Amino acid sequence: MQRGEDEAMAALREGERVSRRAVLSILGLLGMAAAAGMSVLGVPEAALGQGTLGALQPEEKVDETLQRLFGGRAMKDGSNVIKMNIPLIAENGALVPVAVEVQSPMSPTDYVKHIYIISDKNRRPMNTRFSLTPELGVASVGTNLRLGETTDVRAIVEMSDGTLLMAKREVKVTVGGCGG
Amino acid sequence: MAQVGKVTIRVPPDIKRGDVVRIRSLVIHPMEIVQRQDGKPVDKNYLFIHQVIATYNGREILRSDTTQSISENPSFSLAFRPTEPGTFKITFLDTHGGKYEGSAEIKF
Amino acid sequence: MKPSRVLYAWLAPLLAGAIVLAWLGGEGTAQDPRSPAWQSRAIPESRGDIQEVDGKRVQIRYKAAPFSTVTQNFEQWPTYAYVDTKTYPPPGQVAMPAIEGDPKEGRKLFMNRAKAPCTACHLIQGDDVWPAGNIGPDLSTYGDRGLPDQFVFNLIYDARLFFPNTSMPPWGTAGIYKPEEIVHIVAFLKTQKGNPPFVPPSEKDPARNPFTRKLESYFGDNLDPTNNPAVVLAEGAMALWTQTGPAGKACADCHAGGPERAMQGVATKYPKYIARHGRIMSMEDFLPVHAQETTGVEMLAQSADNLHMTMLIKMQSNGMPVNVDVTSLEAKAAYERGKALFFKKVGERHHACADCHQNAPGKGADKFLGGRLLGDAEKGFTKHFPTWRTNFQVVWDIRRRMQFCMLPLGMNMLPADAPEYADLELYLTAFDQGKPMNVPGIRH
Repeated sequence: MQRGEDEAMAALREGERVSRRAVLSILGLLGMAAAAGMSVLGVPEAALGQGTLGALQPEEKVDETLQRLFGGRAMKDGSNVIKMNIPLIAENGALVPVAVEVQSPMSPTDYVKHIYIISDKNRRPMNTRFSLTPELGVASVGTNLRLGETTDVRAIVEMSDGTLLMAKREVKVTVGGCGG
Repeated sequence: MAQVGKVTIRVPPDIKRGDVVRIRSLVIHPMEIVQRQDGKPVDKNYLFIHQVIATYNGREILRSDTTQSISENPSFSLAFRPTEPGTFKITFLDTHGGKYEGSAEIKF
Repeated sequence: MKPSRVLYAWLAPLLAGAIVLAWLGGEGTAQDPRSPAWQSRAIPESRGDIQEVDGKRVQIRYKAAPFSTVTQNFEQWPTYAYVDTKTYPPPGQVAMPAIEGDPKEGRKLFMNRAKAPCTACHLIQGDDVWPAGNIGPDLSTYGDRGLPDQFVFNLIYDARLFFPNTSMPPWGTAGIYKPEEIVHIVAFLKTQKGNPPFVPPSEKDPARNPFTRKLESYFGDNLDPTNNPAVVLAEGAMALWTQTGPAGKACADCHAGGPERAMQGVATKYPKYIARHGRIMSMEDFLPVHAQETTGVEMLAQSADNLHMTMLIKMQSNGMPVNVDVTSLEAKAAYERGKALFFKKVGERHHACADCHQNAPGKGADKFLGGRLLGDAEKGFTKHFPTWRTNFQVVWDIRRRMQFCMLPLGMNMLPADAPEYADLELYLTAFDQGKPMNVPGIRH
């Protein structure tokens, strides 16, 4: 995965007018190519820093998001090592606190590399991707999510050896009401 | 909005070597959401924080690639076990080139 | 005890009203909700002005959500204004239209958010019912009661016919539901049956059912500036404190020792009667007049400066007990006026604050209105104002809260600094007497 990414990145940086098709043919795998050469936001890497960082991204269904980010790689149930703290009922979708803690030695050879937070029903399901380092010593992060409606929220953990683990929770979102 | 880019950080006092420290930070920022006109999403360069970088003594320890699906005035927290005293710094980068920073000292 | 002063205390609003009616009578519009005794010092979009726009009378309101979601002008319905002499129509009754009731249409109408929805107060069957409330009776097996159609029709049309003190809006009398629509709802309710009778389907999700739903509190530490942006904004008001205003003075010039020393304990006494202005005033009411006449700084009610400075001042009393005066002559009279407002039925839907915020049979305190858990006024819910509203990422003081409460329920708002709101605030604050202040709050 890493080598494919590097090749595609090199091609783009050299200023070759490498079309996305060309990238696909280099790598030969649609799934991998979709992940390579694109930032995790889904913005072409070449576009970064050229004032289009905030450009409108197309709506994505969660299956497309998962395919783009993980290319169909196997995902194991991580509920025995991932602790997800998120309310069952959110009073609004504007601010839903989430905290994710992963049991891990966080050693240089065995650590949590990424934690993805994904909300299935959002217009673009990926809320954020945390990238951790062994220096943290522990894997425990948190932030505030925007949820468009009642949805499953997933915490997908990528370990340093490439293993993918997932935990998820349904969050019921309360919308509107005469209280505002 | 007043004070856009203002960063607050909280690091607990009285840290002993080996402790796991809970650090929390908030930045005042609009985190613009996708607007709609006549039911269709508007194409424009939205203003939101797209990256958060936390460093300790100059070394990156945590990064967060963020999107419009993170709340306005976002707050981030992390757990950290420092092995030496030093400076914790957090940097928020937004899509219009904004860069907002805050730092806190950790002493044993 | 001076009898003449006692007389003045309760006569004043009536006199003011009489004077205004005489004054307005000549103008032909007795709908102005603003007290003639008080010139509003609120920002323009907070004054409740009514203007003609494209030939229609509209009330000018705040541009931001949620105010932007209510554009209807409700000026024909009673408000809290002391000069408002409008009365609500008496209980109404019409013959049930002889059309076939459609249960499917009835269910859609029952859950229609633009109308009510009925599910705000009543639970019905269905996995898609999210979120129903429990202020009204559970209607999941209403059809098993075998009640006559005309009776159910009359009840929905105007529940006051059977329950004079009901919280249920007079849907038909108010014109919110048309008689034909009520026929469909009656047909729908007949389908709500149990198996066996009166036994609803077993609940798969305890959150769906408001009688078993548990709402966790999760917004965290309200005084932590890395959690509550309102604290950051309040601390930003320090710059205003030392800023020299147009009159050549700053707050700091008279109030020595910074807010921590000068304002310690001050907010615990608000809202209070201020003789110079002849009315009850909250901190937010007082700042515009006080700042203007001392430093020359405009600190209009509902302006950012006003809200942030109010928070900064109130924070200096955090942990100290609320200590409002309700025993002196003027304060006692204001308290009684506020209490009367709390129980006054107002707006298109004929609601009183008590309908939602009193803990009594058929009233809503500690129950769900849709997905919203309603506060109990008697438990005290004022000492965290101004509060951060996470849903809108803004600061709301209690006046903004009052302005939006009844607005979607069919009543025009008064100006934020209206004396009526101040009297009501005094009544509500009294329930927090002795409890520690804790500003700013953080809420949905």
